[in-house]
This record gives sequence, C-alpha cells and structure tokens, in this order.
Amino acid sequence: MSLVNGVLVGGVYALVALGWVLIYKCSGVLNLAMGELTLIGAYVTLAFYQAGIPFVLSIVCTLIIGIILGILVERIFLDKLIGEPILAVIMVTVGLSFFFKGMIEFVWGTNTRVYTPPIFPLEPITLGFIKISNVYLWSFILAILLFVIFAAFFKYSHWGLAMQATADDETAALSLGVSARFVYAGAWAIAFMSAGVGGALLGNINGINISVGYLGLLVLPAVVLGGLNSIPGAILGGITIGVLQNLSGAYLDRYFPGGVKEVFPFAFMAVFLLFKPYGFWGWERIERM
Amino acid sequence: MSHVWLPCGLYHQEYSKDHGWWQTPLIRGKMIFLLGIIFIVFPLTLTGYWFGVANMVGYTALGALGVQILIGYAGLITLGHAAFLAVGAYTSTLLILQFPWPNFFINWGLAYPISIIIAGIIAGLWSVLFGLPSAKVKGFYLILTTMAAQFITVDFILTQYISQIGGRGQAFSLPPGTIKIGPWIIDSEIKTYFLMAILLTLCIVIVANLLRSKVGRAWIAIRDNDIAAETLGINIIWYKLLNFFVAGFIAGLAGAFWVSNTAALSPEHFPWFWSLWLVGVILIGGVGSIHGVIFGSIFMVLVMELIQLGVISLSDVFPELMIKFLYIKESVFGLIICAFLIFQPRGLSYRWWQIKNYFNLWPFSY
Repeated sequence: MSLVNGVLVGGVYALVALGWVLIYKCSGVLNLAMGELTLIGAYVTLAFYQAGIPFVLSIVCTLIIGIILGILVERIFLDKLIGEPILAVIMVTVGLSFFFKGMIEFVWGTNTRVYTPPIFPLEPITLGFIKISNVYLWSFILAILLFVIFAAFFKYSHWGLAMQATADDETAALSLGVSARFVYAGAWAIAFMSAGVGGALLGNINGINISVGYLGLLVLPAVVLGGLNSIPGAILGGITIGVLQNLSGAYLDRYFPGGVKEVFPFAFMAVFLLFKPYGFWGWERIERM
Repeated sequence: MSHVWLPCGLYHQEYSKDHGWWQTPLIRGKMIFLLGIIFIVFPLTLTGYWFGVANMVGYTALGALGVQILIGYAGLITLGHAAFLAVGAYTSTLLILQFPWPNFFINWGLAYPISIIIAGIIAGLWSVLFGLPSAKVKGFYLILTTMAAQFITVDFILTQYISQIGGRGQAFSLPPGTIKIGPWIIDSEIKTYFLMAILLTLCIVIVANLLRSKVGRAWIAIRDNDIAAETLGINIIWYKLLNFFVAGFIAGLAGAFWVSNTAALSPEHFPWFWSLWLVGVILIGGVGSIHGVIFGSIFMVLVMELIQLGVISLSDVFPELMIKFLYIKESVFGLIICAFLIFQPRGLSYRWWQIKNYFNLWPFSY
C-alpha cells in the first residue's frame, strides 16, 4: 500500500524534478528558483481559474504567461551573465528566488488558498484492491507524458540538440553558431512552463501556500539520485524518493518520531553521493588539466 | 587581486619583507587607527540602537568569514552554513544550561568561554561530517549535500530532538547572569559589542594568517585547479576537510556569540534564508577577499536597516507596508544580489582595491 502511494507521490516529485533537470540540461545552471517558479505557476493558474476560465484553458494561459515571464527573466537578468562563472549564475537564481518569493507574498499573501470548486473528484479511484487519489494519478500520467515529449525534444529536434550542446560547453556551442541567448531564453521558458504545470497540479493536492515552494527543494534528492542531466533519471529518482519517503514514514517513524519523512531523502542523498557521485545516469565528466 | 602595489618610491630590500604582515609604516598606522576606532571611538559614540546594528554586522561577518573560507578560498560552494551556526549556538547553550559545572567554574565565569570553544569544535566536526562527500563530488552535487546539512540539522535534529532536551519547549532562554566571562556578565549591548569586536578581530587575524601559510596556499591551489593541486602533492581530501573544519569552527564561534546577543534561542534563528544570506554577503563584498566579508556585511546590514527605517517612516501613509515589510526585505535582498552579480561581479572589495592602488601609485598611475 505505502509502496503504491510512494510511486504515485513520486510521480508528482518527478514532475517538479523534470523542471530542474530541464533547465540544467539546457543551460548548465542549477536553478534554485524552481520552487518559486512552481508557486508562480500555481498562483497564476488559480487566478485564471477563479476568473471563471475552465481548468485546462487556465493551464494553457499559464503556459503562455510562463513563456513570457521566462523570456523576460532571461533578457533582464541572465542575458548579461553569459560567460560568467557558474557560481554567479546560480546565485542570480537564488536572488531571483528571493525576489519572486517576496513578490508572491506581497501580491497573494501567505494564507492557504484552494481551488473552488475542486477540479479533481475527491473520492479515490479503486483499481483492484488499491485506492488511488485522483490528483496523484493525473500527475503521474502527466509526468510520463511530459517525459516522452521532452525526451523526444532533446533527442530529435534541432533546438533540443542546440540546448544540450550549450550546456555541455558554452564556448564550443557559440563557435558552432548556436545562439546562446536564444537557448537560454528557451530554457527558461520551458522551465517556467513545466513548473507552471507542476504547480497547478500540486496546488490541487493540499491547496496553495508558500510551502508549495519548499516542495521544489524537497525534490532535489530526486534530481540528484537520477543524475542532474538525465530526464529518465528524474522520473526514476522521483519515484525512488517517493517510495523511500513513504517507507521511511511507515517504518522509521516509530523509532525517530517527528519529521523523518521530510528529511530522510536528504540524508539518503548525502550518503548516496559518497558512493555514486553522479547519480544513476548523470554525465560523468572526465577532467583533464 | 590580492596583490596591492606599494606606494611610489618604496621598495623592499629583503625578501622577508615581501611576506610581511604590515608591510609599510602607513599600513601599520592605518590598522592601529582602525583598532582604535573599533575599540575606543565606537563604544564612546554609538547609542543603543546602533550597538544592535554593529552586533548584527559582527555576527554576519563572523558567519560570512566561514563561508568565505569555503567558497572564496577553496571553491567549495556551501548553501547550508546556518546549520553550523545553529550547532554552535545550541552546543554553547546546552553546555551552559545542562552541564554540571563545578561551582568555581561558574564563579570565575569560565563556563561561557569554555562553551564557546567547545561549540566551535563541535560545529567544526559536524561540518566535516557533511564535507565528507566533497572527497568525491564537487560543484552542484556538493551544493546539494550542504543543503542536506541545513535541512537535516536545523529542520530535523534541532527542531525535533535537541529542542526537547530539558523540556523547555521550542525556545531556549538563558537566565540572566549565566553568560559571564571572567568577572563580566554580558548583559548589555555594549558588552556584547566588545565580545563581538574581540572575536571578530581574533578570527580575522587568525584566518588572514592561515591564508598566507602552507594551508592557505593549498586551499587556493585547490580552488584554482584541484587536479593540478593533486599532482603537486597536495592531499586535497585532507585540505578540503580541514577547510570544512575551520569554516565550521568559526561558524560555531559565531553561533555561540549569537547566544549572548539574543534573549531566546530557537531553530527559527537559523533558516535556510540565513545560509543564502551569508553567501549573498560574500558575493556582494567580493569572493576570495577578507575585506569582502567586512564590506559585504556592513553593506547588507545597513541596507536592510535603511529599508526598515524607510518603511517605518512611510507606515503613517501606507499602514499595510508594515505588515508586508518582510516580503519587501526579501525582494530587495534578491534584487541587490542580482544587481551586484550583473554590474559588479567582483564585489565591493574590488573597488576598494582599485582605490587603494590609485592612491598608492599616485601620481604615476601607469
């Protein structure tokens, strides 16, 4: 039972983890503002939904706003950082995350909001002898769907290949005629879009408040487990973490009462990195002098 | 960048002078002047509110010094330094509250100083524990393990277990008079200020000296190219762990100092925000520079105080601003970091370096 639940929760994690992996794969940046992007997605969808637009249409609207915001962010902040050391870029995303978080709190406040009327029926679906919550099932399906789309995008499309090339070696990609500005704008637009969808779904589980953003951090172990630049790794990592979390909640809670569920993935990740430094399928960089 | 030109017309005649601590009489004079300002002028002129600000600057600088050692001098990016501050603060508090001190220790006021040292050592060891993955991973993966340190330490161990010790509830409060160094009870802001000034001066002198020794050179070699450093015979794992220990030690001191500055200690004093804040401080001050730590902390604390003053003065007109002050603060902090990284990527200390060189080379600045 907790195994199946874990797999399904893992589907949600995988969805958010996809956002991390995508932006890392596209631009080589660890985007620490991911949690806030998720929040923005959730709140914007909510705003549209409460204006009376159907849920699917409001997700489409969120996607469009995500693209616009992504390109804006890239143009204003990250455009000037092409060629700067990677720490600078990471810290800019940290700065952005504070900026977004402050702005979100400023505009929407810190109270929990819920989708009214609820979008997914509350009663669980029964598959054989297992009961599954509707939201989790949909997120799982969506994660798999997005996985297929993005895997195809990176493997077969011109843009996807250009993005991977930029992430691998910016200078070499530039010299081959890849427009780094275009790639980064695309990467951020994609990140905003995937985070938007993830946020919209997450908001349906427990309502939206600032703590949805922390989930963006909670999936970090999932990302690392799979390897930072592997899309199937994100799915596998997400599911592994979901299962681990549920199992640790079920079995370890009685020995370590308290929030063992939230922390166990992090502890597991720290130990895991000692043995497998690049995750399951991350690129192993062979360094030369 | 560390190289500062000597004033015009001044030349060293012995190699040993090149490695001198204070290379010219002018520098020695400036340093003594600075110490005079910190230890004599400020205590005489500052008032209550500004002592609070100065203590905040000192606390930030102590924390950021550890981050600077990790990020600026060994290239080990950390986003979980608040965890080690918390370990220091809790070690010190628990030692004072729970340890069965012999009477004369308390009477002579030795308990707090000893607890500061032990806090440093424990925080250092805790930091080494989370630095262990640095033997195998670097870059992003290391960032993630330091984040793990933050969440495991503060959100889990401290909140769920350590805070329950003694059944005091979530916040530990130290009874007045327990924080005592020798005959002095640290109970007013001016005494905290002196404690801060002494600790900060000591730490900076020690770190600055460490950085120009074999250890410091090894760290810088690892930062610049760890593979090259290894081929030169530097035991990189040992030096990385040593780096984690020193950074954690200073964080422990800072945390133990914070105990004297706060009425009650709770895990909320050490959020993830604070780890990021410390990294922000060194980015604004300048990575790889001890000046940067000081400039960054002064700048950030003052900017935040100014925003606070601004919001308070505006609150008559817009009362809802007071409620949303925290959010504004967060947003502004984010924007400042972004702006600095975009427009001034080498930080404030780079400007300071340019100014110093300008005057040193004047009038022959070519």
